[in-house]
Formats: sequence, C-alpha cells, structure tokens
Amino acid sequence: MLELKPMLSALWRNKVPALLIALQLALTLAIISNTVVIVKDRIAKIERPTGIAVEEIIAINVMAIPNNYDMIGAVSSDLELLRKLPFVKDATITNQVPLSRSGSAGTFYTQPNQEVGGEVSNRYNTDPNFINTLGLKLVAGRNFTNAEMQYFDPSEIRDINVAVITQQFADKIYPDQDPIGKPLYDGNTSHPIEIIGVIERHLGAWVDWSKAGNVAFFPIVRNTQDVNYLVRAEPGKRDDVLKTLVDKLSERDPQRVIKTRVLSEYVARSYAGDNLMVKVLSIVAATLSFIVALGIVGLTIFWINQRAKQIGVRRALGASRSNISRYFLIENSLIAVTGIALGSAAALIVNQYMVRDYSQPVLTLLPLLICALLVLVVSLAAALAPALRAANISPATATRSV
Amino acid sequence: MLKMHNVRKSFRTDTIETHALRDFSLEVKEGEFVSVTGPSGSGKTTFLNIAGLLETPTGGQYLLDGEDVSNLNDRQRSRLRNEKIGFIFQGFNLIPDLSLFDNIDVPLRYRGFSAKERRKRIEKVLEQVGLSARAKHLPAQLSGGQQQRIAIARALAGEPRFLLADEPTGNLDSLMARQVMELLEFINEWGTTIVMVTHDPELARRAHRNIQIVDGQVCDLRPVTEQPEAATA
Ligand SMILES: Nc1ncnc2c1ncn2[C@@H]1O[C@H](COP(=O)(O)OP(=O)(O)O)[C@@H](O)[C@H]1O
Ligand SMILES: [Mg+2]
Repeated sequence: MLELKPMLSALWRNKVPALLIALQLALTLAIISNTVVIVKDRIAKIERPTGIAVEEIIAINVMAIPNNYDMIGAVSSDLELLRKLPFVKDATITNQVPLSRSGSAGTFYTQPNQEVGGEVSNRYNTDPNFINTLGLKLVAGRNFTNAEMQYFDPSEIRDINVAVITQQFADKIYPDQDPIGKPLYDGNTSHPIEIIGVIERHLGAWVDWSKAGNVAFFPIVRNTQDVNYLVRAEPGKRDDVLKTLVDKLSERDPQRVIKTRVLSEYVARSYAGDNLMVKVLSIVAATLSFIVALGIVGLTIFWINQRAKQIGVRRALGASRSNISRYFLIENSLIAVTGIALGSAAALIVNQYMVRDYSQPVLTLLPLLICALLVLVVSLAAALAPALRAANISPATATRSV
Repeated sequence: MLKMHNVRKSFRTDTIETHALRDFSLEVKEGEFVSVTGPSGSGKTTFLNIAGLLETPTGGQYLLDGEDVSNLNDRQRSRLRNEKIGFIFQGFNLIPDLSLFDNIDVPLRYRGFSAKERRKRIEKVLEQVGLSARAKHLPAQLSGGQQQRIAIARALAGEPRFLLADEPTGNLDSLMARQVMELLEFINEWGTTIVMVTHDPELARRAHRNIQIVDGQVCDLRPVTEQPEAATA
C-alpha cells in the first residue's frame, strides 16, 4: 500500500519546500557528525588513563629565599618529614608536575652521537619513591635505588646511568624489542643510560602534546632554588593532609616560600580548553538540531495546511486517519533520506578539510551512521505532530470549501 | 440502499447553534437516480456528507445497505466510503500534483488492489469518460468539463454501488453540464444508485425523482413536475 511513485512525483512538483528541508537536514548532518567526532575525540583525550593516582596527590613548590640555600640538604629532611606525616602514603621530589603544562623534555637516541631519528620524551628528575607516590605500575625490570641517586649542582655535568621509562616510550624507541638493559643516549652524547625498568603508563606535563605518554624518569636531583614535591595521601585523606603541609614544612625551615596545589586542579586546568570545546560544540549541535526540528515542524505544518483540501478529498475517497498520517511521515522520511544522503557526502567532504587543515579526527562510518539515524529520528519526531494533526482534517473539507 | 430516519445535524459555534438537518427522513432505493434541490444553506450538502459518511449525524438513524453506520469507527467508515461510495464534487477536487492516472489511482490504492488490477480499472474508466489519451496530463491542463469527467472516472473506478454528487455541474457551462449529466445517466443505467444535488431545474427533472430540501427537512417527495425557484449557490 506504499504510494511511493505518485508521492515522489507529487514531491517533484513541490521541489522547493522539499529541497529546503532536505538541505537543512543535510547541513545539520554535516555539522553534527563532524562535531560528534571532535567531541568524541576530546572526551577520549580527557578520559584517557593517566596511570597516576590523580585524586590522592598534592603538589608542593618550595622556593628558597636565601640565595645560597642548600636545597639538597633540605630535600632529604623535607621528604623524611613528609613521609612521616599522618595519612601520607609516600612523597617524592620531581622537576616537573605531571599534567601541569610546565615541564621538561628531551630527545633520546639508541646509538651514541646519533644526530637523526631519536624519540622525544618528557623527562623527570626524581627519586625511587616516584612509582609509589604517583601510583604507577612497574611492568618490567626494576625501580632505581637510593644508591643510584645523584645530587649535584646545576653547573656540574654528570652522566646519568639508569632510567625507568614508560611502555609507550619503550615501544617507540625499541619497537618489538625487550627494552630492559638497552641503552638510551641523552641528546647527541656518547654515554649510555641503561633502561632498567618499564612502567605501564604515565602522562607528562603537556596534555595537548602527542608525545605526552613518552616519559623517562632519572634518579637525579639538581641543587636549584626551588623544588617540587609530590605527596600522596591515603584515599580520601588528601584534603586533611593538605591543611597541615605548609605549616609543617615552614616549621621545619622558615626560609622558604611554600605553595601547594592538588594535582586534580592542575588536571582540570590542563583540560579546561577541551572541556569548554566539548560543552560549546555539544550546545551548538543540540541547538542546531532543535532549530532544524522547529523548521521542519513549521514547514510541515505550512505544507499540510496548503494541502488541507487534498487531505479532505483523500479522506472522502477512502483514506483512513492512519493512511493520512502515514502519507506525511513517509513523505518526510523520503525528504530526510535525501537530506541524509546529501549530508553524508557533505560531512565527509567537510571532514577531509578538517583533517587536512585542522588535524581533527577522521569521521568514520559508525559515527556518521549514528548521526544520520539521529537526524532521521529528529526529522520524524518533528513531522509527527503535524502528521497526526493532518489526520484530523475532516473529510467534509472536500465538500465544504470550494 | 439508503435509509435515514429522523436524522438531525447541528453545528455549534461559540455563539450560535445551526440546525442544518432536522428530523430528516428519506429512503433511496437501489438503482434510483435522485436529484436534490433546495435553496442555498438548506442542508443539501450536509445531507450528502452524512449519506457519504463524511460527517456523522447529531441524532437519528442512518442505514446504508441495511447496516447501521452510526457506531462504526474511522477505519470502518473509511473502508465503506472507499468500497461502496463514489463522490463527485462541484469543484472537481482533483489532486493538482498528480497526473490524471494517479488521481484515479488514489482510491484504488486505499482499496489495496494489485498494480495490475488498478491499471486495468483505470484504463477502463478513462475510456468510459473518453479521456484515455490524457492519462499522463496534470489536472490543470484540462478544461473544467474534462476535469469533472476525470473526477467521475475516479469515483467510478472502484465500482461503487452508490454515487453522491454535490452540484457536479455547478462550475460548468451548459454544454459541458449536459455531457456530465449524460455520463451520470449512463452510469445509473448500469445499476449505480445516484444522488445528485443540483441547482439546474432541467437536470433535476431528468432524475427519476426529485427531493426538495428546505430548512433542513425534506419538503416534497413527488416525482418532478415543476421546480421551485432555483436559488443561486
Ligand atoms: N461546519 C459548519 N459549521 C457551522 N455551520 C455549518 C457548517 N457547515 C454547514 N453549516 C451550516 O449548515 C447549514 C446547511 O449548510 P449546507 O448543508 O452546506 O447547505 P446547502 O448545501 O444546502 O447550501 C447552513 O446554514 C450552513 O451555514
Ligand atoms: Mg452545498
């Protein structure tokens, strides 16, 4: 009982409104599907595992006021104090706070004095407690020991002997090989740093950097004016620990400026842009869908009113109410399918441009299909009320109005 | 065929209640050709609409083919309209976006006939109304008389037992009106019961029987001898 052929020829004679709706739907699909892949990509980025016990960690920045302050001497006393505080699991020293947008990185090679190739990585100068403090997982080899620690002035050049690196960095620099025992060369040098351990994952300072997961940890501490400690509290005790930290450290040695910030705040700041993007794009997509739905409601109502007489005649000739509603819903689906076909093509073209010029993610078939389905549902939902209303047009319209 | 007993129909708006039909009783027998006349606003169209199941009466009893139709639901009423009743309107009411072929096809599709059956019937009625050559044309490409013949073809294609016509010649000049009337007479000779509202006394006289409706009631049930002054629609 489908009346596709006459329906299509009637539609063809009313090309303009039909095409307007189809184009609206096409545009919506093109925009929404590209929005969805970007949003999906951003959410995946925000939610990717960090390997870090983010909610339990406090970052402390300690800056010495006197110019010739012995930071190295202070560090061991500070750490000893921190580790003994109630509800503190562990504490470590580091040159950079993960996910803080400030840190250091270097290029590492597999051969001495190599000048090309190499792999860029975040670099942490820290002590053996970093694994426990950050909540990292050692998956191969071993952690470094206190005996391997080197403390020195920045003016001194010291060779680093061992490193622990992330699995991602290991896979990049020694693909398909066991990295344990293999050398790393720090820049264009000839001294090998032995890889002694691999941790499952960690993210460095910059969340937007594609190499954020490339991380190397070295057992060194430089004697600088300021250092960072990371303190890990027992689960749920972070804020309690935070309250006493500054006082305890100042009490021990008042010659420093001490600042604290919870790691989760750094993370929130790092992802603020992404979160905003997700929100804005979601609102844009939802608003656009809503406006298009309104447009369809309006145009469908207008169009049905224009054909009120014809609907009455169809009813007089034997169409039931459901025949009439179905007619308009099928007609709407035909328009929507046309719009979706145009929109899919447009979406893919727009996406190519976005990928090439703005390095946005590639639009794959599944999200496109889901968006197409969404557009179809929105379109049908918008047409539903007018179509049901059309069914209420009295068959007497055929004889009453001339 | 059609039997109405004390049928009432009133329209209520915010301010007034119009009694379009009052204690309206009438019987039309199988095979009859009845013309309906009466002043404008007297309830002729209301009567046809109730007879054709386009409107429901406010009260009274209506038997179509012996069946009480007052308690049927929309689907059943639509089905009866589709199968038993053919409609011809003053304004032709062809669907402007559909070819003549597709226009005639409309009720046949609701009937659920196969494509082959529909084609056969459409070709047959197009031939009966003498417009086979125009099947692919749009309504706007035809004269009024031709459009009304297509409308008649559309009403006939389902082979209804009962044909209702509301001033079918009202928009036509006298020559075309006569052609349409001849077509209706021909259809009636083949057994279709016809009720036709008209303002044309000459056409009204050509029916077997003329009913005059005045103020929502049947005024006169005699065979036509003379006509009351025709009102203008
Ligand atoms: N839908 C309606 N609402 C209100 N009044 C109506 C409606 N349809 C018809 N009427 C009134 O009912 C009366 C009969 O109308 P109608 O049957 O169309 O008369 P006729 O066809 O004889 O000219 C008229 O007074 C008309 O104004
Ligand atoms: Mg009338």
